[in-house]
Amino acid sequence: MNEARKTDLIIITAIIVLALLFLILNKYFYAEKGEYAEIYHDSTLVYRIQLSTAKEGSFSIPDKPEVVFQVYADKSIAFIESDCPDKVCIRSGRLRFAGHFAACLPNKILLKIVSAEENHEGPDLIIE
Amino acid sequence: MKRLFISLLAVLLLSATGCAKKPTRYRAEFLSLFDTVTSVVGFSESEREFAVLAQRIKDKLAEYHRLFDIYHNYDGLNNIKTINDNAGIAPVKVDPELIAMLLFAKEQYYATNGKTNIALGSVLRIWHDYREKGISDPLNAEVPPRKLLEEAAEHTDIEDLIIDEEASTVYLSDPKMRLDVGAVAKGYAVEQTARHLEAEGVTSLLISVGGNVRAIGGKPGKKGVEPWNIGVRNPDKESPNPELCQVLITGYSVVSSGSYERYYTVDGTRYHHIIDPDTLMPAAFFTNVTVICRDSGLADSLSTAVFNMPLEEGQELVAGFDGVEVLWVTNSGEIVYSEGFKKFLKKLT
Repeated sequence: MNEARKTDLIIITAIIVLALLFLILNKYFYAEKGEYAEIYHDSTLVYRIQLSTAKEGSFSIPDKPEVVFQVYADKSIAFIESDCPDKVCIRSGRLRFAGHFAACLPNKILLKIVSAEENHEGPDLIIE
Repeated sequence: MKRLFISLLAVLLLSATGCAKKPTRYRAEFLSLFDTVTSVVGFSESEREFAVLAQRIKDKLAEYHRLFDIYHNYDGLNNIKTINDNAGIAPVKVDPELIAMLLFAKEQYYATNGKTNIALGSVLRIWHDYREKGISDPLNAEVPPRKLLEEAAEHTDIEDLIIDEEASTVYLSDPKMRLDVGAVAKGYAVEQTARHLEAEGVTSLLISVGGNVRAIGGKPGKKGVEPWNIGVRNPDKESPNPELCQVLITGYSVVSSGSYERYYTVDGTRYHHIIDPDTLMPAAFFTNVTVICRDSGLADSLSTAVFNMPLEEGQELVAGFDGVEVLWVTNSGEIVYSEGFKKFLKKLT
């Protein structure tokens, strides 16, 4: 009986240790980190770009070639061209920090920066 | 068997403690309302639960969007466009919600010494058209001729907005007058939507329509209910400080008016979209004004009003309101706070 309890304890301890190990590995090594730029068209997520590893350059989303985005060397991103009448999207400037966003309303495109970290301590909302 | 049972129990316990349901922060954005971005931030136990709430908010705001729309007609609905189209022709029967907003806006005209004037539509329309032309064809961009603006300004008398509460009708007695409710409508709609949600039992939420932020309660935090943190983006987009400041609010509204996105350039000079009713030109005192108070409609109206007046005049104006605090950013980048604004500031470490 004692032998059985001892084995049970070993199994339970092993499970707990393995689970903790998994949680730690997941949290510190495999979980997403840093800021991501998300581009939505008509409420659908089209691109999710990790800014820390993104290469400098310009690009468009497939359905809207007239709207051009630029990723800069400082890991910021911006609308740089659009066929919309007011160009508010371009004038929103470079976005780099979680919570910042810009939109091209006539083209139904939203560009927003999100933090992959669950306990991100920044503002809940940012206003212009 | 017993061993297996104990092992499974251990796994279940571990899963339960690891995955215990705690409210998660969710955020939704809509691009279809009030010609701007609407954001909703809240904590829910599931994405589905939050999506249902966000849709309810969108539907409620959409009702106001249709009522306050100056550009579009909607089947079976009389809105601001219907009122404008019937200027000098006939009173228009409208929804009591629209009457309530127009009464509020008229009250704000008197409260702000005419600096928030929804009867300025004919002047704003000219600036809007010149701005769009100037952006699409920058080499031929022009400032509207003074004479054109002055002629339009002849038709901006708020007394020509005749509201009959009993009959629920609105009439513009000047045929050339046009309403433009951009200075109050978003804030008013956010306030009414927030009150509606509060009455339904919502205790924690953030709603923003184009920077008109209204907090319902606070948010769940480590030490119980904590205030919401609202960042005001730095007008200087190249600054290493992304935010001008962060304010902490519980049940309050924050509204910002700025001159740095909706503008066009003529001969190297920028002309933005906030027009001073007295000079008929873009107000040139500040790059940003941020107002904090309980009521989002009042915050919206006052942010336009104080943007349109010199600092001392603005300080005097807000001193006459209880619970209204303002931050001004002058053209030289100097930041001026009203007396109580600093108590809302998050201390940055």
